[in-house]
Amino acid sequence: MTTTPVAAAVAASMDNGYKDYGMGEMAVRALDGVSVQMARGEFTAIMGPSGSGKSTLLHTLAGLDRLTAGKSTIANVTITELSEAQVTEIRRNHIGFIFQAFNLIPSLTAKENITLPLDIAGTKVDPAWFDEIIGILGLGDRLTHLPAELSGGQQQRVAVARALVARPEIIFADEPSGNLDSKSGAELLGFMRRAVKEFGQTIVMVTHDPTAASYADRILFLEDGKIVDEMREPTAERVFDRMKQMGN
Amino acid sequence: MFKLAIKSVRHNPKRLLLTAAAVALGVMLLATTQTLTAGLSSGFSGLFSDIYGGADVIVEEQPSDDDNAQDFTSGDMAFQADDVTAVAGVDGVADAAGGVQVDSAAILAVDADLTDPLAQFGPPTQLFNWTGEPAFDRATLEEGSAPSADDEVVMDFESAANLGYAIGDTVPVLSATGATNFTLVGTVRFGDDNNLQGATLAYITEDAAHTMVGEDGYQTIAVKLADGANADAVVDGINQVLPDGTRAITGEDKAAEQAAEFDSALQYIDIFTLAFAFIALFVGSYIIVNTFRIIVTQRTREFGLLRAIGMSGRQVTTMILLEALVVAIVASTLGILTGWLLAVGLGALLELVSGPIFGPLVVPWTAVLWSYVLGTLVTLVSALAPAVHAARISPMEALREAGTQQRKPLKVRNIAGAALTLLGILGITAGLATTVDRPYIWVGAGAAVIITGVTLLSAQVLVPLAYALRGLLTKMFGIDGKLAANNIHREPRRSGNTAAALMIGVLLLALVATFTESVKSVVAQQLGGTDAALFLVSADGSKISPDAIAAAESVDGVAFASQLGIGAVQYDGADYSVAYFEPETVDQSFTYNSDPAFSQINGGVYIDPTVEELGVKVGDTVTLVTDEGSFDLTVDGEYLNKGDANFWVDWSTAEQMFGEEAGADQVLVVYDDGITADEDQARFDEVNDTVTAALAEYPTVLAFPPGLLQQVANQGIDFILGAITALLAAAILVAILGVMNTLLLSVTERTREIGLLRAVGLRRNEVWRMITLESVVMSLFGAIAGMVLGVSIGVAVVWSLGEFGFSTPTVPWIWLAVYAVGAFVAGIVAAIWPAWRASRMNVLEAIAADG
Repeated sequence: MTTTPVAAAVAASMDNGYKDYGMGEMAVRALDGVSVQMARGEFTAIMGPSGSGKSTLLHTLAGLDRLTAGKSTIANVTITELSEAQVTEIRRNHIGFIFQAFNLIPSLTAKENITLPLDIAGTKVDPAWFDEIIGILGLGDRLTHLPAELSGGQQQRVAVARALVARPEIIFADEPSGNLDSKSGAELLGFMRRAVKEFGQTIVMVTHDPTAASYADRILFLEDGKIVDEMREPTAERVFDRMKQMGN
Repeated sequence: MFKLAIKSVRHNPKRLLLTAAAVALGVMLLATTQTLTAGLSSGFSGLFSDIYGGADVIVEEQPSDDDNAQDFTSGDMAFQADDVTAVAGVDGVADAAGGVQVDSAAILAVDADLTDPLAQFGPPTQLFNWTGEPAFDRATLEEGSAPSADDEVVMDFESAANLGYAIGDTVPVLSATGATNFTLVGTVRFGDDNNLQGATLAYITEDAAHTMVGEDGYQTIAVKLADGANADAVVDGINQVLPDGTRAITGEDKAAEQAAEFDSALQYIDIFTLAFAFIALFVGSYIIVNTFRIIVTQRTREFGLLRAIGMSGRQVTTMILLEALVVAIVASTLGILTGWLLAVGLGALLELVSGPIFGPLVVPWTAVLWSYVLGTLVTLVSALAPAVHAARISPMEALREAGTQQRKPLKVRNIAGAALTLLGILGITAGLATTVDRPYIWVGAGAAVIITGVTLLSAQVLVPLAYALRGLLTKMFGIDGKLAANNIHREPRRSGNTAAALMIGVLLLALVATFTESVKSVVAQQLGGTDAALFLVSADGSKISPDAIAAAESVDGVAFASQLGIGAVQYDGADYSVAYFEPETVDQSFTYNSDPAFSQINGGVYIDPTVEELGVKVGDTVTLVTDEGSFDLTVDGEYLNKGDANFWVDWSTAEQMFGEEAGADQVLVVYDDGITADEDQARFDEVNDTVTAALAEYPTVLAFPPGLLQQVANQGIDFILGAITALLAAAILVAILGVMNTLLLSVTERTREIGLLRAVGLRRNEVWRMITLESVVMSLFGAIAGMVLGVSIGVAVVWSLGEFGFSTPTVPWIWLAVYAVGAFVAGIVAAIWPAWRASRMNVLEAIAADG
């Protein structure tokens, strides 16, 4: 059993991945032969219209859901071959998550929420790293607050801090700015971009918002379960134009 | 509206499942016990009509009012041969025969050990004279022949087989006067199906019966009517010729009278079990409150929407109450059905041991009524507060993002709880510290008030206590320990109720255990206060034969035997008990709690606290009335324990008061100095064996060493503890269901949270452990609070009963350990289903769940 990933140029990959929901006539193919590689230290956005399979791609890459066929890896470990318990192990040690909403455990303080992945794994917090993250995200005076006492933007920043604190191999974000106003959203995406640029963090983000996607280094466009296009060095306008084409 | 309620129940039956189970369990207890007592009642009424229905008219001694329902002993020889002739001569009487029953007769199994005093306990033996007339004997010959010679006996075919006798065998028949050998010449069938409820039935000739009783005459006269005679007219006719103090009654009336007497005894059992069913339902009410409160929270948006489209607040309340009603009716019906099944199963199990004692087992309609009324009432009352709360939901809630619920402060609840607890403590203190009459009433009422108060306080007291464990749990179990503590803390009302439900159950267990263990120490202490090596008691409640006492006393090594008798007297128009002793030996045989010592009695009487409460003082003269006349006695002293006997007199006074009836109920046999188990084991055993052998001729006299007596008493006490524990099991089970229920509902509520934890890497078994920790902590806290309260109240109760001889309360440590371990295991078990659901949750669905 090799669940210990080694440093690799590719943080996560999928090779000819298929995902079907339902059986027989009712079956819906959410992923239709997707092959993709997520390079380390890169900020990738996945875009596509509703039902294109972008969330499914994120979930199967992150080991939250299983492929029907094909294989996927996290840092060279093929997680499609692992048991549920082993996948959990990969998630706890090598993956960070940022969801659209309900990122935080209501009964834990901001600080406890941030250190949650470390507490679960039973590893020590690196205080310098913790302070650095808190400083960048501007959460210093919010650490003892419960999630209910934080604004939406602050809550999402806590979620980013939590994703970063364990220095995971890769962070998966699912519409992280979807519930925020445009100012807080821009701030949050700015932080994520800094994490990639300054700390070499790998991030994969699903979004339907062209502005959000423009923070990424690269954008994958998904339609009907297939990757139909890829864009590097995007700007919001270019993304918007590309999306309009897909709508047609 | 009703339709909407039913649809809502059907739409999501799972969340109401355990609530219904809680109600059903309480109802089941009620239905089971009432079905069993009803079956017992009809079984015995069948027995009584078999016994008395055969004879058209029964002539017997007038039953006295204070007769403590000695159904199996027969009373005096009220009739002589000429009375039988006179009855036979009454118009409309075809035939009459005198009946003799040999008192305290016993036929033991072939292999019974006669020296074992415990071998003689069991269903009674009924020994009568055989008349040959089936209507009088109530039995017919099954095999062999009827007893014709004075050494011949017949017995019912089932007992013969069970005890191991065959026709031709020698059967020793024991009675108060010794053992007599008979030859079994035949077997008989009682009534149509030998329905004897386990008793042994035997017949001998009239002469043999008279020899065994030691007296001529008859206790009863059985009468057969001539064809066409009117039973009531004949009863009147017979009453004309009967001696005073006797009566004639039709067989049917007699059977009905006996059945009614038996039923009134059963009624106490019914009330007793009803109380336990009520406790179970009371505990269940905590679960119902929790469930409906959680449901209302979960459906806030739904109710907001209903309010927005025009439903009034009152209609929302009505709808929730209707849902509760649906649950109550379904649960009660289920409870009655399962209760009936359980009764049938238990009945069959009991009959394996006891033989057929039950009539048909059907749920009596009163039980059905009680079940529905109690089940519905408890459910509706419990759902009322959440239902009223739901009416206050504003239509705006429909639009609001779910998640943060404003919590009602616990203030009112805390103040009420603290006030009640204080009031209860005051009540108990008043009962114990001051000199009020009947302190136990104060203590009992105080205890009830404290329980209510502490229940209300539980959210404030238990929950923070559990939360204080957070650090420890985090250290021991890591993040899941911390989260478990958080979760208990998050909904203090809910966790408090859950723990309180278990608390009440365990409280009652601990209370009963403290009380019974204290009774045990009283027994041990009293038996420790004796110098007697053997206690002689009667196996069947009859007086101990003086011959037996003389036989024991004549054994070499026995110093003396001190007799104690018990009788009934009338004082000031009411019935009281009187005990009588031999003043020369009484204080050397036993340490009685009297002032001055019993040996100081001067032909007068000692009085107990009950009589003192009537205003009688030492030096006064009291007038005691018995059948022999009325006696003026000077009060010479006090007997300080309540509940033993009201009056104490010396033996010679008792002989005047009771005449021939005076006799020993208990004899303390004291050995010569130096003959004890400690000082001279061999000699002690030798004397023991000699006395036991000397008493073998008197099988109804049982010789107990104090240790064995204590063991027997402890067994009785343990049996009571066991029976109450079994009845409380329903309440405990309901409380454990409550823990499960709370966890299940809160797991559902926390779906997204658990999904998130799983996504960031919490293992399945860690999720499981988190839920289990939550469950175990709640269970343990409920149980510990229950134990602390139960033991405290138990101790207070024991203190308050000081005048009954209770002195030192005993803490039942072993039981407490059992309860603690039980609560721990229950916590783990209760968590299985919720933890399984939580750990199997699909991570993606959980994260996406509508929260």
